[in-house]
Amino acid sequence: MSARPVLNAGDELAGIVRVVTMNRIEWYDSAMLSAATNELRRVGSNIHTDIEFAKSEGFATANADGMIMTNWCSEMLVRAFGIDYLERGELRTKYIKPTNLGVEVHVRGRVREATAQPNGNTLYVIDVWCEDDHGVKTVDGDAKVEVARR
Amino acid sequence: MLGRYLSDLEKGDVFRPIEYEITPFMCSEYAHGTEETSEFFHSDRNPAGRQVRPPTMIHVDKMRILEENCDQEKRVAGMKGPDARVHYEYHAKHHSPAYVGERVVVSGHIVDKYMKRGRQYLWYYLEVRTSDGRLVTTYNDLTLLRYRHGEAQR
Repeated sequence: MSARPVLNAGDELAGIVRVVTMNRIEWYDSAMLSAATNELRRVGSNIHTDIEFAKSEGFATANADGMIMTNWCSEMLVRAFGIDYLERGELRTKYIKPTNLGVEVHVRGRVREATAQPNGNTLYVIDVWCEDDHGVKTVDGDAKVEVARR
Repeated sequence: MLGRYLSDLEKGDVFRPIEYEITPFMCSEYAHGTEETSEFFHSDRNPAGRQVRPPTMIHVDKMRILEENCDQEKRVAGMKGPDARVHYEYHAKHHSPAYVGERVVVSGHIVDKYMKRGRQYLWYYLEVRTSDGRLVTTYNDLTLLRYRHGEAQR
Protein backbone atom coordinates (compact mmCIF):
# COMPACT_ATOMS: atom_id res chain seq x y z
CA MET A 1 0.00 0.00 0.00
CA SER A 2 2.86 2.38 0.70
CA ALA A 3 5.12 1.05 -2.03
CA ARG A 4 7.44 3.54 -3.70
CA PRO A 5 8.01 1.85 -7.02
CA VAL A 6 11.09 2.17 -9.13
CA LEU A 7 9.89 1.12 -12.52
CA ASN A 8 11.29 1.38 -16.01
CA ALA A 9 9.73 1.46 -19.44
CA GLY A 10 8.63 -2.06 -20.35
CA ASP A 11 8.09 -3.21 -16.77
CA GLU A 12 4.80 -5.00 -16.16
CA LEU A 13 2.45 -4.33 -13.25
CA ALA A 14 0.83 -7.21 -11.40
CA GLY A 15 -2.84 -7.35 -12.35
CA ILE A 16 -5.48 -9.74 -11.11
CA VAL A 17 -7.13 -12.59 -13.00
CA ARG A 18 -10.84 -13.00 -12.28
CA VAL A 19 -13.74 -14.76 -13.95
CA VAL A 20 -16.88 -12.73 -14.66
CA THR A 21 -19.51 -14.52 -12.60
CA MET A 22 -23.10 -13.50 -11.98
CA ASN A 23 -22.21 -12.91 -8.34
CA ARG A 24 -19.48 -10.46 -9.31
CA ILE A 25 -21.80 -8.63 -11.71
CA GLU A 26 -24.48 -8.32 -9.04
CA TRP A 27 -21.96 -7.29 -6.37
CA TYR A 28 -20.86 -4.36 -8.49
CA ASP A 29 -24.26 -3.22 -9.66
CA SER A 30 -25.70 -3.44 -6.15
CA ALA A 31 -22.69 -1.63 -4.68
CA MET A 32 -23.04 1.17 -7.21
CA LEU A 33 -26.68 1.66 -6.23
CA SER A 34 -25.83 1.44 -2.52
CA ALA A 35 -23.05 4.04 -2.87
CA ALA A 36 -25.40 6.32 -4.79
CA THR A 37 -28.13 6.15 -2.15
CA ASN A 38 -26.16 5.55 1.07
CA GLU A 39 -28.32 2.55 1.84
CA LEU A 40 -27.99 -1.15 1.10
CA ARG A 41 -29.57 -1.81 -2.29
CA ARG A 42 -29.88 -4.80 -4.57
CA VAL A 43 -29.80 -4.48 -8.34
CA GLY A 44 -32.76 -5.57 -10.45
CA SER A 45 -32.96 -6.89 -13.99
CA ASN A 46 -30.74 -5.33 -16.63
CA ILE A 47 -28.37 -6.32 -19.44
CA HIS A 48 -25.74 -7.20 -16.85
CA THR A 49 -27.83 -9.33 -14.52
CA ASP A 50 -30.48 -10.90 -16.76
CA ILE A 51 -29.35 -13.21 -19.58
CA GLU A 52 -32.68 -13.21 -21.39
CA PHE A 53 -33.03 -9.44 -21.18
CA ALA A 54 -29.46 -9.01 -22.45
CA LYS A 55 -30.29 -11.27 -25.42
CA SER A 56 -33.43 -9.25 -26.13
CA GLU A 57 -31.19 -6.17 -26.35
CA GLY A 58 -28.89 -7.79 -28.91
CA PHE A 59 -26.13 -9.12 -26.69
CA ALA A 60 -24.92 -12.73 -26.81
CA THR A 61 -25.50 -13.07 -23.08
CA ALA A 62 -25.31 -11.04 -19.87
CA ASN A 63 -22.17 -8.93 -19.68
CA ALA A 64 -20.20 -7.19 -16.98
CA ASP A 65 -20.63 -3.48 -16.41
CA GLY A 66 -17.47 -1.92 -17.83
CA MET A 67 -16.86 -0.22 -14.53
CA ILE A 68 -16.04 -3.60 -13.01
CA MET A 69 -12.98 -3.87 -15.24
CA THR A 70 -12.15 -0.20 -14.69
CA ASN A 71 -12.18 -0.86 -10.96
CA TRP A 72 -9.94 -3.90 -11.40
CA CYS A 73 -7.50 -1.74 -13.38
CA SER A 74 -7.67 0.90 -10.66
CA GLU A 75 -6.98 -1.78 -8.05
CA MET A 76 -3.77 -2.68 -9.89
CA LEU A 77 -2.69 0.97 -9.80
CA VAL A 78 -3.53 1.33 -6.10
CA ARG A 79 -1.37 -1.72 -5.41
CA ALA A 80 1.51 -0.40 -7.50
CA PHE A 81 1.47 3.30 -6.61
CA GLY A 82 -0.56 3.70 -3.40
CA ILE A 83 -1.29 7.25 -2.29
CA ASP A 84 0.53 8.73 -5.31
CA TYR A 85 -2.15 7.26 -7.59
CA LEU A 86 -4.93 8.61 -5.37
CA GLU A 87 -3.38 12.08 -5.17
CA ARG A 88 -1.98 12.50 -8.68
CA GLY A 89 -3.25 9.67 -10.86
CA GLU A 90 -5.26 9.44 -14.02
CA LEU A 91 -7.00 6.46 -15.59
CA ARG A 92 -8.68 6.08 -18.95
CA THR A 93 -10.46 2.90 -20.00
CA LYS A 94 -12.33 2.22 -23.22
CA TYR A 95 -14.71 -0.73 -23.46
CA ILE A 96 -13.97 -2.09 -26.89
CA LYS A 97 -15.87 -5.38 -26.58
CA PRO A 98 -18.55 -6.64 -24.22
CA THR A 99 -17.03 -8.68 -21.39
CA ASN A 100 -19.48 -11.53 -21.18
CA LEU A 101 -20.54 -13.71 -18.31
CA GLY A 102 -17.99 -16.51 -17.88
CA VAL A 103 -15.03 -14.70 -19.40
CA GLU A 104 -11.71 -14.95 -17.56
CA VAL A 105 -10.41 -11.40 -17.32
CA HIS A 106 -6.67 -10.75 -17.14
CA VAL A 107 -5.86 -7.20 -16.01
CA ARG A 108 -2.58 -6.01 -17.48
CA GLY A 109 -0.37 -2.97 -17.14
CA ARG A 110 2.96 -2.08 -18.71
CA VAL A 111 5.05 1.05 -18.14
CA ARG A 112 5.35 3.00 -21.40
CA GLU A 113 7.40 5.91 -20.08
CA ALA A 114 9.10 6.85 -16.84
CA THR A 115 10.22 10.48 -16.87
CA ALA A 116 11.99 12.47 -14.18
CA GLN A 117 10.20 15.74 -13.46
CA PRO A 118 11.89 19.08 -12.61
CA ASN A 119 10.51 18.84 -9.06
CA GLY A 120 12.19 15.48 -8.52
CA ASN A 121 9.03 13.45 -8.98
CA THR A 122 8.73 10.68 -11.58
CA LEU A 123 5.88 10.64 -14.07
CA TYR A 124 4.84 7.18 -15.17
CA VAL A 125 2.74 6.60 -18.26
CA ILE A 126 1.27 3.11 -18.25
CA ASP A 127 -0.61 1.12 -20.85
CA VAL A 128 -3.53 -0.54 -19.12
CA TRP A 129 -5.81 -3.15 -20.59
CA CYS A 130 -7.93 -6.23 -19.95
CA GLU A 131 -7.85 -9.33 -22.09
CA ASP A 132 -9.63 -12.65 -22.05
CA ASP A 133 -7.91 -16.00 -21.65
CA HIS A 134 -7.30 -16.09 -25.42
CA GLY A 135 -5.44 -12.79 -25.27
CA VAL A 136 -8.25 -10.80 -26.93
CA LYS A 137 -8.48 -7.26 -25.57
CA THR A 138 -11.87 -6.26 -24.20
CA VAL A 139 -10.81 -3.06 -22.45
CA ASP A 140 -8.02 -0.74 -23.59
CA GLY A 141 -6.62 2.30 -21.86
CA ASP A 142 -3.80 4.09 -20.17
CA ALA A 143 -2.86 5.71 -16.88
CA LYS A 144 -0.54 8.38 -15.58
CA VAL A 145 0.85 8.57 -12.07
CA GLU A 146 3.27 11.14 -10.73
CA VAL A 147 5.20 9.51 -7.93
CA ALA A 148 6.52 11.95 -5.37
CA ARG A 149 10.21 12.07 -4.57
CA ARG A 150 10.86 10.46 -1.18
CA MET B 1 -32.51 19.24 -22.80
CA LEU B 2 -32.54 18.63 -19.08
CA GLY B 3 -35.52 17.18 -17.23
CA ARG B 4 -36.29 14.34 -19.62
CA TYR B 5 -34.45 11.22 -20.84
CA LEU B 6 -30.68 10.81 -21.18
CA SER B 7 -31.12 10.66 -24.92
CA ASP B 8 -32.66 14.16 -24.79
CA LEU B 9 -29.48 15.70 -23.39
CA GLU B 10 -27.81 18.11 -25.80
CA LYS B 11 -24.44 19.72 -26.30
CA GLY B 12 -24.10 22.65 -23.91
CA ASP B 13 -26.60 21.42 -21.32
CA VAL B 14 -25.33 22.38 -17.87
CA PHE B 15 -26.34 20.06 -15.05
CA ARG B 16 -27.84 21.26 -11.81
CA PRO B 17 -25.05 20.43 -9.32
CA ILE B 18 -25.49 17.92 -6.54
CA GLU B 19 -23.94 17.98 -3.08
CA TYR B 20 -23.61 15.20 -0.53
CA GLU B 21 -21.49 14.01 2.37
CA ILE B 22 -19.18 11.04 1.82
CA THR B 23 -19.94 8.30 4.32
CA PRO B 24 -17.85 5.30 5.40
CA PHE B 25 -20.59 3.04 4.07
CA MET B 26 -20.49 4.50 0.55
CA CYS B 27 -16.74 4.02 0.22
CA SER B 28 -16.51 0.62 1.82
CA GLU B 29 -19.56 -0.78 0.06
CA TYR B 30 -18.40 0.42 -3.35
CA ALA B 31 -14.91 -1.01 -2.80
CA HIS B 32 -16.40 -4.24 -1.51
CA GLY B 33 -18.52 -4.52 -4.66
CA THR B 34 -15.36 -4.74 -6.76
CA GLU B 35 -13.37 -6.89 -4.31
CA GLU B 36 -11.05 -3.96 -3.65
CA THR B 37 -9.53 -4.76 -0.27
CA SER B 38 -7.06 -1.88 0.04
CA GLU B 39 -7.38 -0.35 3.50
CA PHE B 40 -7.47 3.11 1.89
CA PHE B 41 -11.16 2.57 1.21
CA HIS B 42 -12.26 0.66 4.31
CA SER B 43 -10.77 2.47 7.33
CA ASP B 44 -8.40 5.20 8.43
CA ARG B 45 -5.57 2.68 9.01
CA ASN B 46 -3.70 3.59 5.84
CA PRO B 47 -0.96 6.04 4.81
CA ALA B 48 -3.50 8.81 4.25
CA GLY B 49 -4.71 8.46 7.85
CA ARG B 50 -8.32 8.84 6.72
CA GLN B 51 -10.77 6.65 4.85
CA VAL B 52 -10.59 7.59 1.18
CA ARG B 53 -13.36 7.69 -1.39
CA PRO B 54 -12.46 5.23 -4.21
CA PRO B 55 -11.54 7.46 -7.17
CA THR B 56 -13.70 5.36 -9.48
CA MET B 57 -16.74 6.52 -7.51
CA ILE B 58 -16.82 9.40 -9.96
CA HIS B 59 -19.02 7.04 -11.95
CA VAL B 60 -21.47 6.94 -9.04
CA ASP B 61 -21.42 10.74 -9.15
CA LYS B 62 -22.37 10.54 -12.79
CA MET B 63 -25.37 8.38 -11.85
CA ARG B 64 -26.29 10.83 -9.08
CA ILE B 65 -26.15 13.91 -11.28
CA LEU B 66 -28.12 12.21 -14.05
CA GLU B 67 -30.71 11.22 -11.46
CA GLU B 68 -31.03 14.90 -10.52
CA ASN B 69 -31.19 16.14 -14.09
CA CYS B 70 -33.05 13.51 -16.10
CA ASP B 71 -36.44 13.33 -14.40
CA GLN B 72 -37.92 10.74 -16.74
CA GLU B 73 -35.00 8.31 -16.54
CA LYS B 74 -33.99 7.99 -12.91
CA ARG B 75 -31.92 4.84 -13.25
CA VAL B 76 -30.95 4.62 -9.58
CA ALA B 77 -34.64 4.70 -8.72
CA GLY B 78 -35.24 1.87 -11.20
CA MET B 79 -36.69 3.86 -14.10
CA LYS B 80 -35.66 3.03 -17.67
CA GLY B 81 -35.64 5.19 -20.76
CA PRO B 82 -36.86 4.29 -24.24
CA ASP B 83 -33.32 3.68 -25.49
CA ALA B 84 -30.64 1.38 -24.19
CA ARG B 85 -27.24 2.96 -23.69
CA VAL B 86 -23.74 1.58 -23.29
CA HIS B 87 -20.85 3.11 -21.37
CA TYR B 88 -17.95 3.44 -23.82
CA GLU B 89 -15.12 5.38 -22.17
CA TYR B 90 -14.10 6.36 -18.64
CA HIS B 91 -11.40 8.98 -18.09
CA ALA B 92 -10.78 10.31 -14.59
CA LYS B 93 -8.01 12.59 -13.41
CA HIS B 94 -7.36 12.73 -9.67
CA HIS B 95 -6.39 16.13 -8.29
CA SER B 96 -6.70 15.24 -4.61
CA PRO B 97 -8.32 12.45 -2.61
CA ALA B 98 -11.74 12.99 -1.07
CA TYR B 99 -12.25 11.65 2.43
CA VAL B 100 -15.09 10.29 4.49
CA GLY B 101 -16.88 13.11 6.27
CA GLU B 102 -16.22 15.67 3.55
CA ARG B 103 -19.03 17.24 1.58
CA VAL B 104 -18.52 17.24 -2.17
CA VAL B 105 -20.19 19.15 -4.97
CA VAL B 106 -20.53 17.52 -8.39
CA SER B 107 -21.09 19.75 -11.41
CA GLY B 108 -20.81 19.21 -15.12
CA HIS B 109 -22.13 19.65 -18.61
CA ILE B 110 -22.55 17.96 -21.96
CA VAL B 111 -19.44 18.66 -24.02
CA ASP B 112 -20.75 17.17 -27.25
CA LYS B 113 -23.27 14.86 -28.82
CA TYR B 114 -22.27 13.41 -32.15
CA MET B 115 -22.63 10.59 -34.63
CA LYS B 116 -19.69 8.38 -35.54
CA ARG B 117 -19.97 5.32 -37.76
CA GLY B 118 -23.72 5.39 -37.40
CA ARG B 119 -23.62 5.49 -33.61
CA GLN B 120 -24.66 8.38 -31.41
CA TYR B 121 -22.30 9.38 -28.61
CA LEU B 122 -22.81 11.61 -25.60
CA TRP B 123 -19.72 13.21 -24.04
CA TYR B 124 -20.08 14.22 -20.40
CA TYR B 125 -17.67 16.39 -18.41
CA LEU B 126 -17.95 16.28 -14.61
CA GLU B 127 -16.00 17.95 -11.86
CA VAL B 128 -15.96 17.07 -8.17
CA ARG B 129 -14.89 19.61 -5.56
CA THR B 130 -15.12 19.63 -1.81
CA SER B 131 -17.68 22.12 -0.52
CA ASP B 132 -14.81 24.47 0.37
CA GLY B 133 -13.59 24.42 -3.23
CA ARG B 134 -10.72 21.89 -3.38
CA LEU B 135 -10.65 20.14 -6.75
CA VAL B 136 -10.94 16.36 -6.33
CA THR B 137 -11.65 14.83 -9.73
CA THR B 138 -12.19 15.88 -13.31
CA TYR B 139 -13.93 13.33 -15.49
CA ASN B 140 -14.73 12.81 -19.14
CA ASP B 141 -17.16 10.08 -20.14
CA LEU B 142 -18.38 8.80 -23.47
CA THR B 143 -21.67 6.94 -23.61
CA LEU B 144 -23.19 5.30 -26.64
CA LEU B 145 -26.86 6.29 -26.96
CA ARG B 146 -29.73 4.69 -28.76
CA TYR B 147 -28.01 1.36 -28.77
CA ARG B 148 -29.51 -0.83 -31.47
CA HIS B 149 -30.06 -4.56 -31.41
CA GLY B 150 -27.02 -6.52 -32.55
CA GLU B 151 -24.65 -3.57 -32.30
CA ALA B 152 -22.68 -5.18 -29.52
CA GLN B 153 -21.76 -8.10 -31.74
CA ARG B 154 -20.06 -6.05 -34.43
